[in-house]
Amino acid sequence: MALLSVRNLTTSFATDQGLIRAVNGVSFTLEPGEVLGLVGESGSGKSVTALSIMRLVREPPAKVEAELLDFEGTDLLRAAPRALRDIRGSGIAMVFQDPMRSLNPVLSIGRQLAEPLIRHLRMEAAAARRRAIELLEMVGIPMAEKRLGSYPHQFSGGMRQRVMIAIALSCNPRLLIADEATTALDVTIQAQIVELVRTLTKNLGTAVIWISHDLGLVAGLCDRVNVMYAGRIVETGPVREVFYRPAHGYTIGLIGCTPRVDRVGTPLKPINGLPPNLMDEAPLCPFLPRCDVAVPACHQTMPVLRSLPGGHSAVCLADLTSHHRGAH
Amino acid sequence: MWRYLASRLVQIPLILVVVTMTIFVVVRATPGDPVQIMLGMETSPDAVAAIRKEFRLDRPLAVQYVLWLGDLAQGNLGRSIRLNTPVTQLLRERFPVSLRLAAGAMLVALCISIPLGILAALYRNTWIDYLCTGYTVAGFAIPNFALAMILIYVFSIKLGWFPITGIGSGDAKTAFDAIGPYILPAVALGTLQTAVLTRLLRSSMIDVLMQDYVRTAHAKGLMPTTVVLVHALKNAMIPFVTMVAIQCGYLIGIQVTIEYIFAIPGMGSAVLSGVINRDFPIVQGFTLVIAAFFLFANLVADLLYGVLDPRIRY
Amino acid sequence: MAAILTNDTGKAARDEILTLRFASGARLASRQFLRNLPATSGLVVLALLCLAAIAAPLISPFDPIQIKLSAKLQPPSWAHLLGTDHFGRDVLSRLLYGARVSLSIGLMVVAFSTSFGVPIGMTAGFMRGNVDNVLMRLMDAFLTFPPLLLAVAIVGLLGPDLRNVMAAIGVVQVPVLARIVRASTLSAREETYVMAARALGASPLRIATRHILRNILSPIMVQLTIGFSAAIIAEASLSFLGLGTQPPNPSWGRDLAEARRYMADAPWLFLAPTATIMLAVLSINFVGDGLRDALDPRSWRTRARVASAKG
Repeated sequence: MALLSVRNLTTSFATDQGLIRAVNGVSFTLEPGEVLGLVGESGSGKSVTALSIMRLVREPPAKVEAELLDFEGTDLLRAAPRALRDIRGSGIAMVFQDPMRSLNPVLSIGRQLAEPLIRHLRMEAAAARRRAIELLEMVGIPMAEKRLGSYPHQFSGGMRQRVMIAIALSCNPRLLIADEATTALDVTIQAQIVELVRTLTKNLGTAVIWISHDLGLVAGLCDRVNVMYAGRIVETGPVREVFYRPAHGYTIGLIGCTPRVDRVGTPLKPINGLPPNLMDEAPLCPFLPRCDVAVPACHQTMPVLRSLPGGHSAVCLADLTSHHRGAH
Repeated sequence: MWRYLASRLVQIPLILVVVTMTIFVVVRATPGDPVQIMLGMETSPDAVAAIRKEFRLDRPLAVQYVLWLGDLAQGNLGRSIRLNTPVTQLLRERFPVSLRLAAGAMLVALCISIPLGILAALYRNTWIDYLCTGYTVAGFAIPNFALAMILIYVFSIKLGWFPITGIGSGDAKTAFDAIGPYILPAVALGTLQTAVLTRLLRSSMIDVLMQDYVRTAHAKGLMPTTVVLVHALKNAMIPFVTMVAIQCGYLIGIQVTIEYIFAIPGMGSAVLSGVINRDFPIVQGFTLVIAAFFLFANLVADLLYGVLDPRIRY
Repeated sequence: MAAILTNDTGKAARDEILTLRFASGARLASRQFLRNLPATSGLVVLALLCLAAIAAPLISPFDPIQIKLSAKLQPPSWAHLLGTDHFGRDVLSRLLYGARVSLSIGLMVVAFSTSFGVPIGMTAGFMRGNVDNVLMRLMDAFLTFPPLLLAVAIVGLLGPDLRNVMAAIGVVQVPVLARIVRASTLSAREETYVMAARALGASPLRIATRHILRNILSPIMVQLTIGFSAAIIAEASLSFLGLGTQPPNPSWGRDLAEARRYMADAPWLFLAPTATIMLAVLSINFVGDGLRDALDPRSWRTRARVASAKG
């Protein structure tokens, strides 16, 4: 059985001008231990999707609806608040983008580490303390015992993110959501953190959803990837399939503007136009105004999900085989 | 930390010098011959001259000030011209009264503002919020002496629960007898503080509740009470506690109208009668103590910042 | 319970999604202000009070200090809309003239604190260094005066002259204003446009007046409303204690003091001045709150125009 099943998830915000659908009919499944990437530009709805799954969005003003939102047999939409709290932190855990702001400045690291242990695993203070030291060592923080009493501002950015990862993995969750977890860090630290998460989750068998706008990161880490645009998933499939045989205009655009080490000197091709209007309910492809590979049919009908070989599908009317590079 | 403390402690006397100099100048700028006014028109000129000499009023201003400072260094604040008692003795009688009144007012303020501020922040912009903060609107606007008048009328005159004036005769038989006379004045005095503190706590809680670390706390699956009372409140308390310290110092100064209405023998009413009676030593001495207390309260407030917020280390 | 869940992720979505199209800052701010009901009604009430105060000699039905013992302690009636006091004086007339006193003192205090606080704060913030230190220490010294007590001392000793009252109340507001001005000047000074102006050779005075002043306006305005209402209450307190406006001149505080004896027999003597003071203070506070919300973009209620892909 799938670990996480999402079908037709929609998160909307009511504003004075109308209804904004930050997440618009998103569907995907996640198997235990699978590593899924969620890519898209800012505003594509990636973070809101993750927060909606964890029901961390303030409702109202938001409204989260879905045909199915199931985690390990629990209906996340209809579950009681208590049940949701039990799942958060121990079933699904999340690592956020900015570790300085995501850690409480007036509580010690040790305290913040111990909290989920005491809450979910019902550990006693002494046992939680020992486990906290283990966790800090696990994520590579030296002199762990001494650092238990330190405060977040006494750590560097990379170390803080390691602490966040330790907190997230402390109760051995089945799913870890990393929301732009490396975006705020230096490039060299990024590599370390990515490697750390990869090793730990592999050892623990944790499924991971990597949310990022960095294609290179996702390509190197994930088994499958969902490409999001305007709150919808426009392409999904195994990482190699999607990157070597992209089947959506947006994916092609994204790949085109990603710098490549093996193509030094080739100009990057930005995607023209502005981010989409999320209230637009016109029954056409939301990417149409910016698309370079649109065909005449795109101006008339709404594209539907088209299956491609290898577990790959996209919501695009154009035939993009000419843009394929082929796997190497 | 100690260096910071030391530098602040050095600043205090300097500031007090400015304060006392100002009061000195104001006092001496009083029109008319103060001694004559105080003693009455029938007093013989010789008696007036004698008093003037005794209180050094015949010396130049600067000399008077320096001499006064000199006495101060020896712990001598002079004698009240009118009552002929040492100012220090009067201080010893009146300061505890004022302190008790201020403490009572602050207690009232804290008991009301903390729960209401938290609730208003949690349920902001709902009826609960309006209920909790609605009274603050009136609390800011009503002068404390007007409130005192209403309270006296309702509770002392009509209902007879509390004495109308005074703080009791000192032979209290029950706890109620001892505290009772302070209750109405404390409520009247503390109303403005309650309004200020409720608003402050509400807005700092709202700010804190929007922070990312609160989101993290929820993502960890912690109980809502834990998130609010531990993660959020601890942060929101920092500006709150420092404001409490500042308000404590402020309260002692503001008490004068309340003391006047309730005929409470505190610091404020002493200054008031000292001013009316041109009793300079009292005005100078009492103002000095009040200002010093105020400075001290501010210092405590700043130090508290360092204690409560681990990011700040002096 | 949903109300206490987590931070406003509408914020995250909003940050990602919405792009505000700005009208000119002042227009947007005034629109926000006008949409704020308490603020607008406060402004209206305040304007009415000011008008009433200015027009007092014209609209006041009776002479406020005319004693007429035959008409004493009469409850509100058509002849005397708010009743009469123990000397037979018309309460409404006294309130109208009292408004003149209170509001003019309030304005004078505001003018006083601005004319000292702003230059001091700006000089300290702009010059920094020793000048800043000395000025701020001086301000600290005056901050330690518990406000009412200093006023009591000054007015009590030097006499209830209007200028004394203004200086007494204003002197404790100067340091607060100076601090706020200094803080805003400090941050405004670091703005790139100030550096650009200096690079273009603008003199410090020009920079100060044209660039920085505009930025510090909003915290100043809010503080001034606070100071205004504090001044009104301070004047009322002084008059109540017998130190401010002297009888038989009308003053809200003085009227309250005289109403003490008649709480049971003539409650209108107490209620009328209290209600008026509260009305004045409340409306000023609402205006101040409205100003603060209007000038702080973070509290703008987003009737945002979502940027369209075609726009």
